[in-house]
Amino acid sequence: MVLVLIAIWVVLDVLTHGLFLTPRNLYNLSIQTSVGAILACGMVFVIVARQIDLSIGSLIAFTGVLTAFAQVNWLEGHPTASWVLSIALGLAAGIAVGMFQGWWVAYRGIPALVVTLAGFLIYRGAAFMLADGQTIAPLDETYQRLGGGSAGSLGVGASWLLAVLGCAWLVWNVWSTRRERGKYTDSPPPAWFDVVKVVVGAAAIIAFVAVMVSYPDRTRLDDNGNGPGMGIGIPVLILIIVVIVLSFFAHRTRFGRYVFAYGGNPEAALLAGINTRFLVVKIFVMMGILSGIAAVITTARLNAGANSIGQLAELYAIAAAVIGGTSLAGGVGSVPGAVVGALIIWSLDSGMVILDVGSAPRQIIIGLVLIAAGWFDIAYNKRHSR
Amino acid sequence: MADRGLHHDSRTKGTMKISRMWILALAVFATLGTASSAFAQTVGVSWSNFQEERWKRDEGAMKAAIEKAGGKYISADAQGSNEKQVADIENLITRGAKVLIVLAWDADAVVPAVRSAKSEGIPVIAYDRLIQDKDVFYLTFDNVEVGRMQARGVFAKKPTGNYVFIKGSPTDPNADFLHRGQLEVLDPAIKAGKIKIVGEQYTEGWAPEVAQRNMEQILTKNANKVDAVVASNDGTAGGVVSALRAQNLVGIPVSGQDGDIAALNRVALGEQTVSVYKDARALGEAAGRLAVEMAKGKKAKDITGAVTWAEGTKKIPMMSLFLKPVPVTADNLDYVITGGWATKAQVCKGVAAAKAPKACK
Amino acid sequence: MSAPLVEMIGIHKHFGALHAVDDVSCELYPGEVVGVLGHNGAGKTTLIKILAGVHPNDGGTIKVHGRPVKFASPRDAQRVGIETIYQHLALADNIDAAGNLFLGRELRTRWGTLDIHRMAHEAGKIIRRINPNFTQTHLPVRAMSGGQRQTVAIARALYFNAKILIMDEPTAALGPGETQVVKDLIMSLKREGIGIFIISHEMRDVFDVCDRLVVMKNGKVVGTTKVSDVTEDDVLGMIILGKRPAPRAEAGTR
Repeated sequence: MVLVLIAIWVVLDVLTHGLFLTPRNLYNLSIQTSVGAILACGMVFVIVARQIDLSIGSLIAFTGVLTAFAQVNWLEGHPTASWVLSIALGLAAGIAVGMFQGWWVAYRGIPALVVTLAGFLIYRGAAFMLADGQTIAPLDETYQRLGGGSAGSLGVGASWLLAVLGCAWLVWNVWSTRRERGKYTDSPPPAWFDVVKVVVGAAAIIAFVAVMVSYPDRTRLDDNGNGPGMGIGIPVLILIIVVIVLSFFAHRTRFGRYVFAYGGNPEAALLAGINTRFLVVKIFVMMGILSGIAAVITTARLNAGANSIGQLAELYAIAAAVIGGTSLAGGVGSVPGAVVGALIIWSLDSGMVILDVGSAPRQIIIGLVLIAAGWFDIAYNKRHSR
Repeated sequence: MADRGLHHDSRTKGTMKISRMWILALAVFATLGTASSAFAQTVGVSWSNFQEERWKRDEGAMKAAIEKAGGKYISADAQGSNEKQVADIENLITRGAKVLIVLAWDADAVVPAVRSAKSEGIPVIAYDRLIQDKDVFYLTFDNVEVGRMQARGVFAKKPTGNYVFIKGSPTDPNADFLHRGQLEVLDPAIKAGKIKIVGEQYTEGWAPEVAQRNMEQILTKNANKVDAVVASNDGTAGGVVSALRAQNLVGIPVSGQDGDIAALNRVALGEQTVSVYKDARALGEAAGRLAVEMAKGKKAKDITGAVTWAEGTKKIPMMSLFLKPVPVTADNLDYVITGGWATKAQVCKGVAAAKAPKACK
Repeated sequence: MSAPLVEMIGIHKHFGALHAVDDVSCELYPGEVVGVLGHNGAGKTTLIKILAGVHPNDGGTIKVHGRPVKFASPRDAQRVGIETIYQHLALADNIDAAGNLFLGRELRTRWGTLDIHRMAHEAGKIIRRINPNFTQTHLPVRAMSGGQRQTVAIARALYFNAKILIMDEPTAALGPGETQVVKDLIMSLKREGIGIFIISHEMRDVFDVCDRLVVMKNGKVVGTTKVSDVTEDDVLGMIILGKRPAPRAEAGTR
């Protein structure tokens, strides 16, 4: 799928006469994709576990309005960290809803489709009622930076520091894997393979940061039109953290192992003594937290808590996860793949706006890409199993 | 009949029985009569999607007007679904509605339900959004005029340069009426080459995030050489302003409509040029009042101020009443404050004293 | 005479109105293979699932090594040395051999994360002990043959040092070669003193490996006999008709 993404980028760059692959557009793309990618990463776990969550868009609206409402009405005039409290409140609401929905699915046996469809209806209505239908704006100045707009990024220094850390981690990861494997086997994989992994990975990290850093912050330009580079946007930083944490869960923790086992064979998981019902609740709670995070980024970016945000978010998250290699049959999924899937969708969408393509043809094209991805998923899986 | 006194011979008894019957009958008919006149004034309101900010205000005024005229208010929310709206309308009729006020989710999909109402002799008022049927009474603010006011507000600030249209939802006919009004005002300048359209996109679901994303891409495409944005409502205007903020372009003229509190605040801060205010209360009040009158038998053409209008895409002539919107700019912000729509604190939040508009001083 | 490994005394289990297991008693001695036979729906699988800790019993007592036990989950049963190989193997086919072998009992590093390399190594070791030709243990289970999957399931039971092994239809999906491998394995486990319950429909295999038989019908025990005391026809009669065997056979203890 990465090859598909690169192909799309090249084509769009040619069609837009070089506008697509500029630091500015790539920076914007990274911000525009971050929310969808965060949700898609969580949706991987949901789909792997043979569940579905249709409520996240409405949950985003609900927690977003709640966060904004708390910030503007209850916490205004309080110490500067009041916006932190408002975020905590939003996340707590996400957790509560996740527990509620997860309980109905796991302990009462109601299909996730039904429970989360109910959530889809309930939480948007709740978002409307919470603020009497009003859009709450403007929001706290510092909070707005979480949206990736002006002053909403790490800046040059911190971004490069992150790049160095990323490369260092890459090297350490490969080295420690070789060492661990070496304890148990006399024939480790060839060294050049790992070297290539490190070089390619480091090159990607450095290229990414270099691009982000070469996009100047428009709100802090001097008279000559030069200014400090934006660096990695804060929503992107949040996405990176989410990807690292969720990948870690998937490969290195019992929680992740049990999610995949449950998705592969729920009975086997049960017979192995795994508490499968609590596992399902945890998955929905995780989705609730990610919805809360997505709501923070969206409202900070928009500088408003509107009850109309998050429309279709759940469908785009599912689409991105599937394009990224997550199978709707359960048991198979990839967190980094979901990010690539999200990038494919949003690159197409935003690239086509630059080309003045209208909203209807854009929707058609993205729908066709989804079908192609689904077909590819089936064909690929057929080849890889007996 | 009572003159006979109370002699209890058979003829008297019989006559008195008959008289009592008449009194009873009269009483029954009287009750039935008032009952049926109460039923006659049940007003059924079919909302398309109650989730948007303004409809609550419409409802408040509508209900008050209906009850003041002696009627009864019943309603249903279609939650953005065509199928549900058709079912809702049928349901309202079953519940005894003698007149319908319909805020259509989709102008064409709702027509079958409207025709079936017609066949039962129930008059239909199309509320704010067009329903293309010759027997429907179209009550709205003049949406084309709203578009003209939006364009005028922006044009007054910047008569030349690169313009961007951030339009409404592609499935909402209002979006095209607005755009038509906007073009009417701007066309001469466009033809004369003084204004160039450098970007134009619909906004699915009128969603602010979509408007923000589209605006970001249009700014990228034009390397920020954008001088004015004609946005079709306050929600999308909010998305536009956020996109401008990231590029340090806040302050270029931006239009909107609905009089959202957040938008009025932006007008006070100078971030938005105009928000065309349609007092939803006036529209709701008119709808409620006219509905009860129509339920009592008044014909559409006898309504004061009604005109025949045939500007819909199908060019069907309809009886219509257009209310006049008010463009709210920094100069007349006190209109919404004294009108009780918004408080001074809400409108003037964060406004620096030095740059404050008149209403905030 | 050695003490029984497992005693099930007067076990009852209801599922709603269905009395799936009705006053069932049986024992298992070290180094003994006991066959559990009966029609579909006779209650065999429910009985062994009770012993495996999957279902709690509604009445009766279970004793392991002479001590009464209560299982709240399969882990409790595993802790006293009971391992189960289910009919459909209970393998997650999207996970590899090591992941399945250690499912629910993963080896962890000192930071609490999964120790994938050690698990892969340990799993590989024990699998090759059973089947030296099976080397591709890192593939997901769905890429393995029936025999290889069986090996993984058996390896799981062996790795955790089962004292009591339950096998549900161990040879049903296997060809003759693989069936012999399983039979040889059962005999070698017997020699190590492990007690085995086997549910099977394959009369041949039952008579080849089992020492005693317990026949169930409609949730009740029809009879318990030594294999040497009955013929296949006797057993069929017990299964189908619930007919007690000829007086020559005695309820067996050793």
